[in-house]
Amino acid sequence: MANHSASHAGGAHAHHWEISTYPAIVAVGVLFLVPMAFSAWFVYHSLLLTVLFAGIGTPLVLWGVSGWIGEGMSHKALLPGVAVAGLPVFIISEVFIFLSIFASYWMMRLMADVWPPEGTPAMPFGLPIFMTVVLVTSSVTIHIAEEKQEKGDLAGFRSMLMLTIALGLVFLACTIYEYSHLLGIGFVPGTNAFSTVFYSLTGFHASHVLVGAAVFVAVLIPAFSGKTNLTFTKCAGIYWHFVDLVWFFVVSQVYFW
Amino acid sequence: MGALLKEWVFTTDHKRVGILYLIGSIAAFLVAGLMAMLMRLEQSTVGLNIATSPDDYNVWLYFHGAAMILGFLIPGLTGFFANFLIPLQIGARDVAFPRLNSFSVWLFWAGIVVALLTFVIPDKPDVMWTGYPPYSVKTLGNTAFYVFTVHLIGFSSILASINFIVTIIYMRAPGMGWNQMNMFVWCTFGAFIIQLVFVPVLAAAVTMLLFDKYLGTNFFNPAQGGDVLLYQNLFWFYSHPAVYVIFLPAVGILFDVIAAMGKNRVFNYKAAVYGGVFGIVLITGEVWVHHLYVAGMPDWLRIGQMVTTLLISVPVGLLVISLWGSLYRAAITFNTAMMYAAACLFLLLVGGLTGIPLAMTVLTVNLSETAFVHAHFHFVMALFAAFAMFAGVYFWFPKMTGRLADGPLATITFWMNLIGVNITFWPLFIIGFRGMPRRYYDYAMFPEFQPYHQVATVGALITGTAMALMVINWIWAAAKGKKAENGNPWRAKSLEWTHADCPAGPGNFPGPDPKLDADWTPYNYAK
Ligand SMILES: [Cu+2]
Repeated sequence: MANHSASHAGGAHAHHWEISTYPAIVAVGVLFLVPMAFSAWFVYHSLLLTVLFAGIGTPLVLWGVSGWIGEGMSHKALLPGVAVAGLPVFIISEVFIFLSIFASYWMMRLMADVWPPEGTPAMPFGLPIFMTVVLVTSSVTIHIAEEKQEKGDLAGFRSMLMLTIALGLVFLACTIYEYSHLLGIGFVPGTNAFSTVFYSLTGFHASHVLVGAAVFVAVLIPAFSGKTNLTFTKCAGIYWHFVDLVWFFVVSQVYFW
Repeated sequence: MGALLKEWVFTTDHKRVGILYLIGSIAAFLVAGLMAMLMRLEQSTVGLNIATSPDDYNVWLYFHGAAMILGFLIPGLTGFFANFLIPLQIGARDVAFPRLNSFSVWLFWAGIVVALLTFVIPDKPDVMWTGYPPYSVKTLGNTAFYVFTVHLIGFSSILASINFIVTIIYMRAPGMGWNQMNMFVWCTFGAFIIQLVFVPVLAAAVTMLLFDKYLGTNFFNPAQGGDVLLYQNLFWFYSHPAVYVIFLPAVGILFDVIAAMGKNRVFNYKAAVYGGVFGIVLITGEVWVHHLYVAGMPDWLRIGQMVTTLLISVPVGLLVISLWGSLYRAAITFNTAMMYAAACLFLLLVGGLTGIPLAMTVLTVNLSETAFVHAHFHFVMALFAAFAMFAGVYFWFPKMTGRLADGPLATITFWMNLIGVNITFWPLFIIGFRGMPRRYYDYAMFPEFQPYHQVATVGALITGTAMALMVINWIWAAAKGKKAENGNPWRAKSLEWTHADCPAGPGNFPGPDPKLDADWTPYNYAK
C-alpha cells in the first residue's frame, strides 16, 4: 500500500471502506410500504397491520430518499456527471414497461369481436388535447430552466422550474377531474377490457408525471438556498421529456384510436 | 463489532456489495435445495409420504423454483459475480453508482425476506415460479407475495443492469479496448442488456396479475374481453431470455477459469463475443413462443418459432466451441475450480443436446410437461449454471477472503455433487420420455416408475449432503483456510490478479490506477 499519492485522478481514491446509510434505509422502507402494507390490506384485510406497516415504511422511505438526495448533491461521483449517461439507460427499461401494457392493449383489442366493449362511455375530445398542450409547454419550460441554470441565472432557473411544476400539477388535476367523472358514471377499472387498459396506461403515465414533479420539487428546495447540481437538473429534465414523449403514444392510442 | 457491522450493512463498495449478494443467494440456495429434497422424498413412493396434503407439495414447488431462479441463480451470477469482478477486471475503483448498488443488494434481500415469509404466513403462495392465471388469480394462496418477490428482485436487477452497463462503457482502465476485456465482462454485459430490456416486461406481467386478483381488472379475464394467454406471452418474453441472463455469466466464468487454469488464450475470442454473446442478445427475444407450443397456436407460428429456437443454438454453439477450443494445447492444472469447469462442459453438452428435441414441434407436443423437460432444464440451468458458479467461487475465493477453499473436502464434495446430480436426473429423462408428468405430487397412474423415482431420490440426497458440506467448507475456509501466498495464487494475467491484493482492499488497487499497453490482454499467456 505504498504509492497512493501517484493517482488523484478521480478524486475518490479510497483508503477506507465507503459507506452510505440511506440506500439500505430506503430498501427497508420499501419492503414495509409496498409488499407488507399491500398484503396486509388486500390479502389479509387488516387495517391495523396496514397502518402499522405503512407507518413504518413511509417515514423510512422519506428519510432515506431525502438523505440520499442530499448526499448525491454534495458528494463527488467517481466519474463526474455519469448520471446523465445512466438515466437514458433507465429509460430503456421504462420503455419496455410501457410497451408491455401497449402490447396487452393491442392483443386484447385486435382479438375482440367488437370494440369498444360494452359499457364504454364516449371519451372526451378537448381535455386530452389541452393536457397535451400543457405537457409540451412544460417540456419547453424545463429546457429553458436548464439553460438559465447553466448561465448561472438562479432566479430565472427557480421561476422556470416552478412554472414546470405548476404545469405538471395542472396535468394531474386534469387526470383527477377526468377519473372522478368516469368513476362517477360507473366506468371503473373492472368494467371491461378497455377500462382496464385505460386506467393502467393513463394511471401509469400519471404516476410518472407525479414522480417527475416530485423530483423537480427536490431540485427546487435546495435551489432556494442557492444549492444546485446541474447533473441532477439535467437528469430530471431528460426524465420529464421522456414522460412527455410517452404521453403522445398514450393519448393517440387511448383517446384518438 | 458494531462498527464492523455498520461497515458491511451500509457498504457501497462493490466487492462487499457482491459478498452480501453471495450470502443472500447461498441462503436462498440452501432453503430452496431443502425444498428439492422434500419433493424428492415425497416422490420416493406412490401416494402421500411426507406431505400432509398436495398443497404442501405446491408450496415446496413454488419456493424451490422461485428461490432457485430469482434468489440464487440470477442474483448469484449478475449480483455477486458481476459486482465482485467487473470493476476489478476492467480496472475501475468502483462502479458508476455505488449508492445505487447498495440499494440494489438490499432490495434483493427484501425480496428474499418476502420469499422466506412464505413459510410463516397463512395462505402460502402456491403458484410455481410461473404464476399462470387463471389459477394464480383464483387461488386462495397469497399471490401478492409472489408478485412482490418478483418486483423487488426484478427492480434490483434493473438497477444493477443500469449500473454495470454504464460502468463497463465508461469506466474501463485507460488503454483497455473492447477486444481486451475479460470474457466474463463481455458475457455479463450481454446478460445485463437482456435484463434491462426484458425484466420490465416480467414486472408488468406480474403487476397485471396483482391488479386482476386484488383490484378486479380484466387483463387475463376472458369473460370481460381479457386474454389469458397474454400472461404466458409476457411471462416467457422475459423468462426465455432469463435463461441467457443465467447462461451468459456462467459461460463467462468458465472462460476465465479455463483460460487461467490452462494458461491459454481464449479460442476464437472475437467470434465468441460478436457472434456468441451478441447473437444471443439479438435472437433471445424472438423465441419465447416455444413455451406455448401446446397452448394452441397456428402452425405457421409454431414452425417459425422452431426455426428461431434452433437458430439460437448457433451463437450458443460458438461459445461452446470457444470453450472447448480454449482447452486445446492448454497446460491444465486441475484445482477444484477447474474440475467444476470441466464438469460444466459435460453438463452443458447433455443439457444442450436434450434441448434440440424439445425445440422440434413434432416431438415437444409429446414431451411437453413431462419429466424429460424437467431433466433437460435442470441440466442447463440448475446443474450447468450452479457448477459454473461453484467453479467461480473456488477460483476467486482467495480474492474475496485471502484464503484458499481447495482441499480434500472440496474434492470429495465435487465428486459427490457430480455423481449425485447425474443419478438424480438421468432416470427423469427415461421416465419423462415414457410419459411421467412433471410437477405432480403423485404418480399413482404410473406405479412402474417408482424404482426410477427412488434412484433419483438417492441421487438428490447425495447431492444435498454434498452441497451442505461444500457451503460448510467455504465458511470454514474463509476463516481458517490456507492463506493465499500472494495476490495471484493461480498466476493469472487479468487485472484482478495482477493489480489487486488478496483479499482486495478498499479502492481495489493499492498502486496507481491501472494503465494498459496496446498489446495487453487478460489471456496473454503466450508471452
Ligand atoms: Cu425458452
